[in-house]
Amino acid sequence: MKNIPTERKKIATTKRQFCTFQLAGHYCGVDILDVKEIIDEVTLTKIHHAPPEMMGFVNIRGHVHLVLDLRLLLNFNSKPIDDSSRVLLFHPNVGESFGVMVDQIGHMVEVEESLIEYRIADDSISGINRDFRKTDLEKGVCKLEDKLLIILDAPMFLNAVEIKR
Amino acid sequence: MNKTGIASKIIIISCSTVFVFMIVGSILIIQYEINILNNITDGKIDQEENVFQIDYFQEKQRLKKQLEKHIQNMVLIMKSVDVIYEQTFQFQIQMLCMQPMIRAVEFCDQNDNSFLSAWFEEKVHVSKQLPKKFDLSNFQHIKFQTDIPAINTINLYYTTNLIKNKLLNRKNKNTQELFQIREEIYEKLKGVLLTQSFGTLLVVAILCAFLVISLRLFILNPIEELMDISNRLKKFDLSVDILSNSNSYELNLLVQALAQLLIGFRSIISDVKENSGLLSNSADNMTGIAEQLTSHSVDAESQVNSVAEASVQISGNIHSIAESVEQISENVQSVSMTSDFLFQNINSVANAIEELSSSLTHVGERVKKGTQIAEKAVLLAQKAGETVNILRHAANEISGVSEFIQRIAHKTNILSLNATIEAASAGSAGRGFSVVASAIQEFAEQSSRAAKDITERIAGVQRGTSEIETAFSDVSAIIKEMNLSSESISFSVIEQTKAVQEIANNALEADERARNINIAIEELSKTANEAAENITQVALGANDVSTRIQSVSKNISFNRQISHQINEAAIVLNHLSGNLKDMVDPFKV
Repeated sequence: MKNIPTERKKIATTKRQFCTFQLAGHYCGVDILDVKEIIDEVTLTKIHHAPPEMMGFVNIRGHVHLVLDLRLLLNFNSKPIDDSSRVLLFHPNVGESFGVMVDQIGHMVEVEESLIEYRIADDSISGINRDFRKTDLEKGVCKLEDKLLIILDAPMFLNAVEIKR
Repeated sequence: MNKTGIASKIIIISCSTVFVFMIVGSILIIQYEINILNNITDGKIDQEENVFQIDYFQEKQRLKKQLEKHIQNMVLIMKSVDVIYEQTFQFQIQMLCMQPMIRAVEFCDQNDNSFLSAWFEEKVHVSKQLPKKFDLSNFQHIKFQTDIPAINTINLYYTTNLIKNKLLNRKNKNTQELFQIREEIYEKLKGVLLTQSFGTLLVVAILCAFLVISLRLFILNPIEELMDISNRLKKFDLSVDILSNSNSYELNLLVQALAQLLIGFRSIISDVKENSGLLSNSADNMTGIAEQLTSHSVDAESQVNSVAEASVQISGNIHSIAESVEQISENVQSVSMTSDFLFQNINSVANAIEELSSSLTHVGERVKKGTQIAEKAVLLAQKAGETVNILRHAANEISGVSEFIQRIAHKTNILSLNATIEAASAGSAGRGFSVVASAIQEFAEQSSRAAKDITERIAGVQRGTSEIETAFSDVSAIIKEMNLSSESISFSVIEQTKAVQEIANNALEADERARNINIAIEELSKTANEAAENITQVALGANDVSTRIQSVSKNISFNRQISHQINEAAIVLNHLSGNLKDMVDPFKV
């Protein structure tokens, strides 16, 4: 508990940017440096015998990307694709050419580092019982002026699929 | 004698008709009896025939049985003998043939061939077989089987004619008896008829004679005497003496009454003869005076009275006529004034009607213009509807365009996001670009908001256009109705103008008539004045007439004196006529 304020002080002056979106009524966001691109018109190619979190492949300018269903990863119910559905493609340093489907895209938010409260992993809970998604996919919460922004950890998404298997 | 002849004829004819009817009735009764008798005898004959048939059949049966028994006996006899010779057969067969009704017998062996036969033809013949000419078809036949070895069968032929003849004789005797009885009854009935007719004839003749004689004795002879007396009275010979010596009481009463009447009549007639001379003289006087009276007094008095009354009335009437003629002249003057007034009024009415017709033509033109305007309005409304339609199309297009704008705004938004991401990845070098990107994002949001606004507005416009369309359709319908009503108005206005023109023509004619009336009334006033002058002259004439009538009245007073004389003569005549009445009164009773 005492380590964290010191860490916050180090990067107190720095600002961070998040790409926000709506997911099952929740206001979420990922680090903008992890995002490569936002795609609106998506034509998915389904993968047979794949887990339900993998929605399919998408072809963007000649490159094939894997699309994951973020709702299923976060234990929400799946929802069919509509006009406001968007795909967030991530940077290659996050994971090898993949993206996630979100309900609706929001703005780019720039916040002070001091407003973010990071999550502390509780190791006392045993590995089998703990909810993997809540502990590892949520990095922390950012306090905005009128609401809270849940910050998700993009590099953990692919791992989440693999772990779930 | 003639009348008596007719009466006796009537009696004789009625008696003879009664006689004829009785005879015819008895003949009919006897005919009926004969019919009944015939029926009874016919029934009896039929019964006899039936009895004969039944007896004949029974006799035949009995004969057959008898013969069979006979043959049986014979066979028994032959069986009882030990040895049979041929003579025995011959004897037996002859014995059989001796029977009166048996005509032939045949003894046959086993093969049905006859070996011994006997037949009766005037006398008994015996042979081996029957001759072929012997006809067996008329006879009855019995075939008898025997148990004698020599004879197998015996054929027996016999006749029934004897029985039949016997029975027939009996039957014929009975029927003949019946016929005889019937003939006897016929004879007796004829006798009865004859005696009955003779008896009735006798009775009727006696009755007829008695009636004729009594009629002649008691009624016709006294009536002939009365007829003699009446013939003498018919010649006004009243000196007849009537004696009642008749046989019948009623006729005696009649004759006595006649005699009394004759005596009374005789005395009355002698009185009348005395008075008749006086009456004729006074009646002559009276007729002469009565003619004068009738010719003078009745005619003249009534006529003169009426004339005097008439003259008084005439003078009075002439006065009143003069007064009324004066009144008429005054009235005619007032009439001429009113006719002048009428003439002026009619003139003004004609003028007003002409003005009315001109104003009506104006109205017609206005109404025509109104219909034209309404047609134009319909056209304009249709055009407006078309333009509104175009407007709606344009609004629809605009809504499409606004959707397009919204899509562009979305795209722009994504583009700005991507640009922001790129700027962020560029680090501090991309900081300026990120500002631009955020500005673009803001624009995109604004444009999308504007597009939403436009779509809302356009929806409002579309609603408005649809309302306008309905309003325009209503307006055009109303204008069409207006058009129809204005057409009907124009039609009625045309009719009204026609009617008004007719009225105007009539008014002009009325004007002329009024002028004519005016002229005629002036003439009438002139003639009325003339009439007044004439009537004064008539009054003078009437005075003259009244003086003449007074002289006539004097003549009538003379006539009255004459009528007095006539009255006296009439009184005398009345006395005479009263006497005569007294004399004649008993004559009536």
